Amino acid sequence: MDPTPSAPIDPEQPQDIATKPEPPDHGRILSLDVLRGLALLGILLVSIWEFGGFSTAEQNFYRTSPHGGNYTLLTAVSILFEGKMRALFALVFGAGILLFLQKKDHPTPLATSDAYIRRQLWLMIFGLFNAFILLWPGDILFQYGVVGILLFAFTRMKSNGLFIAAIFCTLIFCGKNYWNYADDQKAYKKYTVVKTVETRIKQDSLSRAKKDSLDRTKDTILLADTLLQNKRLDSIAIKNDTLTNKQVEEKGAWEGTVKAMKYDTAQTKKANKAMRADYTEVWNHLLRKSQNKESRWLYSIGVWDIGAMMLLGMALFSIGFFSLRYAASRYLVIALITLIVGFALAWFRIRGNDARLPDYAIYISTHTIPYDLFFPFERLLLVVGYASLVLWLLSIGVLRWVWQVVATIGRMALTNYILQSVLCTFLFYGYGFGYYGSLHQWQLYFVVVELALVQIVFSVFWLRYYSMGPLEWLWRCLIYRTWLPIKIQRQNSTSTSDI
Amino acid sequence: MDQQNSPDTPTEESMDNNSQIIIATQPVALVDRIKSIDAIRGFALLGILMMNIPLFGINWDFWYNIIHAPRSGWDFYTFAVIGVFFDGTMRGLFSMLFGAGMVLFMLNKKDVSGGPTVAEYYYRRLLWLVLFGVFNSFILLWGGDILFFYGLCGMILFAFRKLQPKYLVMLSVVSFSIGICKNHWGWSHHRGLRLAHNEAVAAKAENKKLTEEQEGAITTWTEREKNQKPDTAEVNRNHRKMLSGYGTIFMYSIPLNAGFEVWFMYHKVWDMLTMMLLGMALFSWGFFTNKLRTSTYTMWLLIGYGIGIPIGWVIFDQGMMYAGPPGAYADQWRSSHFVYDECRRVLLTIGHASLLMLVFRSHIVPWLMKALANVGQMAFTNYLMQSIICTWFFYGYGFGYYDKLKFYQLYYVVGAVWIFQIIFSAIWMHYFRFGPFEWLWRTLTYWRLQPMRK
Repeated sequence: MDPTPSAPIDPEQPQDIATKPEPPDHGRILSLDVLRGLALLGILLVSIWEFGGFSTAEQNFYRTSPHGGNYTLLTAVSILFEGKMRALFALVFGAGILLFLQKKDHPTPLATSDAYIRRQLWLMIFGLFNAFILLWPGDILFQYGVVGILLFAFTRMKSNGLFIAAIFCTLIFCGKNYWNYADDQKAYKKYTVVKTVETRIKQDSLSRAKKDSLDRTKDTILLADTLLQNKRLDSIAIKNDTLTNKQVEEKGAWEGTVKAMKYDTAQTKKANKAMRADYTEVWNHLLRKSQNKESRWLYSIGVWDIGAMMLLGMALFSIGFFSLRYAASRYLVIALITLIVGFALAWFRIRGNDARLPDYAIYISTHTIPYDLFFPFERLLLVVGYASLVLWLLSIGVLRWVWQVVATIGRMALTNYILQSVLCTFLFYGYGFGYYGSLHQWQLYFVVVELALVQIVFSVFWLRYYSMGPLEWLWRCLIYRTWLPIKIQRQNSTSTSDI
Repeated sequence: MDQQNSPDTPTEESMDNNSQIIIATQPVALVDRIKSIDAIRGFALLGILMMNIPLFGINWDFWYNIIHAPRSGWDFYTFAVIGVFFDGTMRGLFSMLFGAGMVLFMLNKKDVSGGPTVAEYYYRRLLWLVLFGVFNSFILLWGGDILFFYGLCGMILFAFRKLQPKYLVMLSVVSFSIGICKNHWGWSHHRGLRLAHNEAVAAKAENKKLTEEQEGAITTWTEREKNQKPDTAEVNRNHRKMLSGYGTIFMYSIPLNAGFEVWFMYHKVWDMLTMMLLGMALFSWGFFTNKLRTSTYTMWLLIGYGIGIPIGWVIFDQGMMYAGPPGAYADQWRSSHFVYDECRRVLLTIGHASLLMLVFRSHIVPWLMKALANVGQMAFTNYLMQSIICTWFFYGYGFGYYDKLKFYQLYYVVGAVWIFQIIFSAIWMHYFRFGPFEWLWRTLTYWRLQPMRK
């Protein structure tokens, strides 16, 4: 494969090409496949936390304990990969949207827009399958399907407009982070007010109790009378002395926020028990989570989070960024600048998080901005940085065989993504081997390496015999509603048996 | 209005214009507008206010007061008529016509080489609709907005626009069934909690020591039962908030409206898809274009009303008016009445549509049909106008009539709005091609100023 493919589409391509099996790299851009492969392998570095039961609460526990290997590993993964691999995936997906829409060689006479919308709708259904049948609540295919449809209206936009739209979405994402923090601040303010009332009440009832006992000893003659009087007064006082429902609620809201950040043994035990049970119980346990991810999260965060990256991917694609249009040195310069600024922002976030976790009350009363305010920009910069770095390496032509291997993963990204769910759920959930919550963080990374190897071997072998991954094939068949060839046709044989 | 025969197939727009781009962006020529569709849309648009007005103008504990009052008086009768006969059906008509309109939009336009395709215009149009929906709920502060959902649903429908009507009906039935299953599923979860509670209570009665789970079952259900009753503090808070200034209501509405948009879109999408797919099928069969025989419309009228009204009455009588403790209801019914409300809704919607078509073709009230068609032709404007009028009338920053009228008195407001909208639409459509918001929507979709004057 030529490492510098310039024109992705050959308009001279004979129209009957699709009725024959495609040559393996027809109409593909190597750099996109490489980036997609890297994103796919990288995604597991973070999603293994959720697969394996390494919960946020547990991570917070490591963050607040004396710093050791666990802390270092967690920090490294968080700075280098958390959110970035998913973002890279979305970036490449965005580029893929434009690539798909440029395609002229549909196997059946179907308008491009129809093919595109069907592609997205089937992706949503793959996502539902992944979330509710394979039971992976971290699925993003559904969201990609939805956001891809929303972005269809932007596919004709010029690159400048796309860049602006991407920045706009990123800013909204930042705004959402700030807004959440502002809500926390408000909750804390209310909490402190309730707290003062509560202290006053305690003091009041204490002094009343003292007075009460004094009264009792002072006068024995009018004892009965005084007692009665006191009782009446007391009941009125108590009425004023208890917190109102609203105050209790306000107190509970903040306490709940703080509690959610702390490691809770009972909670963890309960989750582990449910996840190590049979299919039905795991299903019930994860239902709410998956639904939330597909509705509330998508509505409030996901559409900006994913939309920003896809728009950026479209913008970069339309200026020819992925086709290695620029000089190698330019990619290197971009990579260096974005990575330096991105890591600085990541460092700021980690420091903020470390300050926040031990005592959120102190953090919130001393900081005007949340620790994750710039996270959307951190992601954006680092993703561009990683992509540029890879593109630089591709354009100077080093490590060619490595890129070939990674590209095979990227070419069957859907298959490999679903395969991750299949393997990980089987390994960790109760109806499989049930390792959920029982591996240490560093042990999880052995699993990641193991799975990466399995996926590499599988992909390389599969693409030797077939022109695309099994699910990619299924996806295409569903889009075009016809059985399409999947086997690679050898140059010398004229096989017709594969339809 | 005697050109029943004119819209055989929605004709392509007049090609006499010289510029090519105009072909794709030109409005449906005035004569080609399908009057019957406009009339039904106008009817649905006016009718939808009957269901929306309580949310605009009265605190949400009103239903609780009605079902606990004797079954007489204007409040009850109004509640009964709305609940049995109208609830959800105007939304149903609207959805059906939205499906039909979508097919119409695609049929009427042709791709122009070099420019954006019709599909792209379609998706831009819907994305703007979604944004109008956001505007309606978060700026005009109307918490029951449907434009948001329609925009998103339309994006799904696109893939099915060329499907044969029988497959569309099949898909509609599938969507309907999913809706029912989800309803039932929700109910059995609720009932499951009740049964667990009953078991725990029985164990307690036998002086057995309760497990932690059983204790939990009791508290969960008790909590749930308590929440069925409107919380006075919450109701009062709502009252106070809705009578405050714009800023307060704005902040108060954000989480409520966001929650509604998420929940309705994700869990109730079937409600809309069922009717939209059905609408597409009926449109292809010529139902809305007055192409079926009178006997067919009559048959559907009889089926729709004949089955729909009795079902509606049972659901209303046994379900909606049920005033006893929720526990007893859950003990009694394996499946809730509300699970099947969807049947009533679909049947009555078809009934309403058939009735309207019969009235339309019989020419008994041509002036009314004309008036409704005017309203329907600027339905988008009128829908947003209902938000503007009602929020101003009821909310604190306007006249502040929130919670001041009795339930049945709200319908005086509905009547007034109807009269206003009918007159306004008639005048406006006399001078202009589109309603003001339609014009804005078109201008945004095609990103160039659209002609306005007739």
